[in-house]
Order: sequence, then C-alpha cells, then structure tokens
Amino acid sequence: MKWLNLFRVNIKRELILLKRYLPNTISMVLTFYFIFLGMFLGIQVVGNPETAEVNVQYAIVNYIFWYMAMSVMNGIGFTVQSEVQLGTLEQIYMSPLGAWRIFLSRIISTTITDGLMIIAMLFVSMWTASTWLNLDIISILPALIFTLISMFGVSFMIAGMAIIYKQIGSFLQVSQFLLLGLTFVPVSLFPLLELAPVMKGVDMVRQVMIHGYALGDFTWMDFTSLIINAIVYFALGIWVYLRCERNAMEKGVLGQH
Amino acid sequence: MVQTIEIQNVKKSYKKRGSKERIEAVKGISFSVKKGEIVGLLGPNGAGKTTLIKMMCGLLVPDCGDVFINGINIQKNRLKALQHISVVLEGNRNLYWRLTVKENLEYFAGNRGFSKKQIQEKMDELLEAFSLKEKENEMVNSLSRGMQQKVAICVALLANTDVIFLDEPTLGLDIETNYEIRELLKKIAKEEEKTIIISTHDMPVVQEVCERVIIVNHGRVVADDKVENLMQLFESKAYSFTLQGPLSVKQQRLLEEQFIVDISTNEAGQTVLTVNIQKAEDFYKIINILEKENTPIERIDRTTVDFEEVFLNIVKGVKASEMAQSI
Repeated sequence: MKWLNLFRVNIKRELILLKRYLPNTISMVLTFYFIFLGMFLGIQVVGNPETAEVNVQYAIVNYIFWYMAMSVMNGIGFTVQSEVQLGTLEQIYMSPLGAWRIFLSRIISTTITDGLMIIAMLFVSMWTASTWLNLDIISILPALIFTLISMFGVSFMIAGMAIIYKQIGSFLQVSQFLLLGLTFVPVSLFPLLELAPVMKGVDMVRQVMIHGYALGDFTWMDFTSLIINAIVYFALGIWVYLRCERNAMEKGVLGQH
Repeated sequence: MVQTIEIQNVKKSYKKRGSKERIEAVKGISFSVKKGEIVGLLGPNGAGKTTLIKMMCGLLVPDCGDVFINGINIQKNRLKALQHISVVLEGNRNLYWRLTVKENLEYFAGNRGFSKKQIQEKMDELLEAFSLKEKENEMVNSLSRGMQQKVAICVALLANTDVIFLDEPTLGLDIETNYEIRELLKKIAKEEEKTIIISTHDMPVVQEVCERVIIVNHGRVVADDKVENLMQLFESKAYSFTLQGPLSVKQQRLLEEQFIVDISTNEAGQTVLTVNIQKAEDFYKIINILEKENTPIERIDRTTVDFEEVFLNIVKGVKASEMAQSI
C-alpha cells in the first residue's frame, strides 16, 4: 500500500509538471506528430512505392523504440542530475521506502505519459496520412512491458554512474546514438544481440507491427528469452545502483555537484 | 534503556580535492540523546556539524563507529531507521520551487508512503499552526526565504517521526523571521514530544530552545552539558574590574599573556577589564599586576554572560580540556 501511495504522488507530480511546463509539453506533442507525419508522407514520396508501406512501418516502429529506449534508459540518470541541481536529492534519500523506488515510480510515470502521447500522436498522424499500421495491442503489450523492464534496469545502471560522477551528460548523448544503431538492427542478422537489453523485445514488437504476428506465432523460447532478459537486466540494474549509492555515501558525494 | 540516538565513536574523513591527502572531519565522536530531548549542536564553520548530522541521517557512511536510532543501526538497516527520522537540511535544499506549498507537503509525505487521507488530516492542522493556510496554493519560489523555511519544517513535521534534525534552521533569515522560526521551534519543543537536534550558529536559538548543547570543534566534542550549567559555569567565573586609571603597556601585556581579557572604556572614561577566572589564585594574580603599578580598582563585579560568550570561550579552548574530561 505504501508503494502505491508513493507511486500515486510521483505520477501526480509528473502530471502537475506537464501542466506547469505546458509550452514544453505542447512542443513535445507536436514534435511527435510532425516526425510521424514526416515519416508517413516522406517515405511514400521519396522511397520505392512498392515497398513504401513496409518501410514506413519499419521506420516508425524503430523510431518509437529508439525514443522510448533513450527516454527510459537515460531517464533516471537525468532525474538524479536534476535533483542534484535542485538540491533536493538528499531529501529524496530520506524516504524510508528507498530512493530507488521513488526513481522507479518516476520513470514509470514518465513512460506512461510519454507512451500515451506517442500513441495519440501516432493515431493522429496515421489518420492525417491515411496509412494505418498494424496495431495489435494484445500482441504488442507483453513484449513491450518486458522490454521496458529491461530498459529500467539499464536506466538504474546509468543512474548509479550519475550518482557518483554527476557529469554524465556527454555519456548520455553518445548513448543516444548507440541506441539508435541498436534499435534499427534486426536480431536475425546478429543473434547474439538477444543477450543485449531491449533487443529481443524490439524485434518481437517489430514482428507484430510489421509482419502481423500474433502472440501465438512466437515460440516459448522467444518468451523465455524475453522474460529472462528483463529480469536479469532489472535485477542487475538495481544491484549496480545500490552499490553506487553506497559508494557515494561512503565518499560523501551524494548531494554534491 | 534504549536511547533515541546513540553515536559510538564515529569517524569520517574526506579525500581532499586534487590530492591524495585526507581531511578528518569527525575524529571519534560519541554521545547519546534521550527521547524528547532538544539538543543544540554547535561549532564553528568546518567543525564537523553537518558531517555529523548527515551520518545520523544515514546520508553519509562513517569510516568507523555506529549510529543507532531507536536501537536500529542506521548503517545496517538504513530504511528501517529512516522511519524514525526527518530532516531540514541547510539552505534551500528541501523543497521543489515549481510546486506549491501543498503539493510539496503531499509529495514528500507520499514518498514516505502516507495515504491521501493520512496526509490531509495532519497537513491542514500544520498549515494552520504555521500560518501557511493562505499560502497553500502558492508556488514555493514566490515565497520569502522565511516562509520557505517554515514550509520545510512543516514537511519534516508531516513525516511524524520521533527524531527531527534541523541543520541551520535560521541561517540567512531577517530578524523578524528569525524570531518567528524561534518561536515556532519553541512551540514544537513544548507541544510535540520529539527528539530534536538543531545544528546552528544562532545563539539565541540555543539559549531559548535547547535544553542541552553539544559543542564540536575540529571534529571532536569539546563540551556536552545542559545550557544552564554551561552558563552558570562561565557566569560564576567572569569578573569585571573597573579601574580609576588606565593600564600601562606592561600591565596589558602581562594580562593578555596569562588570561583571555577584554579591555574597554566605560561611559565615565574608566578602564574596564573583563576576564574569565579559572582558579582562585588567578584572581590574586590580577590584583598583583594592578597593585604593582598602583592602579586603583574602583569596583569588582561578577559579570553576566550570554551564551555566545560561553560558546566562544569553549571554542577558544578556555575550558576545552576540563570539559572533555568531564564528558
């Protein structure tokens, strides 16, 4: 129950800030809209008309995953940095429920709000361009949820670094391009990529959205690999984060710039 | 009997920036605080007060030694111990400036797991008590520094913990707000049975609010006693000699070499020599120095001291060794 209360106030805070920084929120929504629209129309005009539909779907699915991966994986690190700048990080650390749970609630809140905005804008841009993607939510959801769990794990690892070194802005920028590369590579080309975080889930969602797979079309190996990947990366992420947190408390650098 | 706070020989050193050298901020401090005690933690800048507070809050891990809160070792069971602690840290580091007063209160209480109903019940009461009801929907960045500090104290009280740490609660406040916060702290001390540790440079806060004071200097405890005992100790030993003539250069030198003296001139143009006398023979030594040059003494008075003088004398080391032995 206490966790639910913690989650409730963090999602409320997220909504308050979206409203308080309304121009930022509107520009984010419009950015999604124009990017999706650009992809729908651009590829149809410039690309090969015969493969245009598949190309558009591929580009959009990859873009959404790249954006989500970037936003989620860097999310907790950015939150730590911003709390340090605001000077409130140590107050967060006074919660008897643990700072990591607060950060987890924050990243879940951000993911939900970002996800809703993306879905809304995707539908608006599909309607504008009169091109409809195969959106089988029931088949997408399990893969998406487990992919997000492994992303949270990586996000905690990055946040652990942020808590000790603070200035990790340039690392976060480089990681965006690394993620961009990874999310666009099909796992079938490099099977070992399945061991990397996110990749298996992205691949499965791609199969659903582009090739029209249903849940039953995946093997139990696919699901096992997806679930183990999520659990391992999440647990590893929390462990790394807690180690870094302890290290920062020993060094006395927790709330320092 | 389990003490609310128990600190056993804690030490903490930091690596100096850009070198391998380490600075010892806290050099083996031990003390305990009983339930409901209000303790002032004093010391000059860099004495180790904030380091000590952060170790008691579990924000810093000591190099060695243990901190217990209600019998829970904070290093070993940090989250459990935090259920009993809230803190107002120094400066503007306790609130979100882009959230309103009410939103801040709800947010921080929610982060401790309180339900909406639990928060609402206590929040209204606190907002009334702190005269913040009218400001509840205002953003924190639009409030004065004093108001912000009141909100930060309110957040700490809303957590409803047994122990509250206040790090420099009156720092940077104007006289009026300082007085208001002081009154508020007195009220909390009187009405709520909380164990409160106040780290401050503000002597009136110590004198008016705290029952006991722990003075830290160079990472060690140099005094730990009730405020009134420390006041009495120094009050009974501070004397002022009103002289009819001026002191010679030689007399001044002799006095300054042996005692901590303050030499001033009163409204009647007489020299006033104020000195803390440690032993009975010191009194005769002063008389001798004055007598040798036939300096007439008009009056000898026992002076009243304020806590600032007590603090300065302790920190200057006048009573340091004696105090350290008595703790």
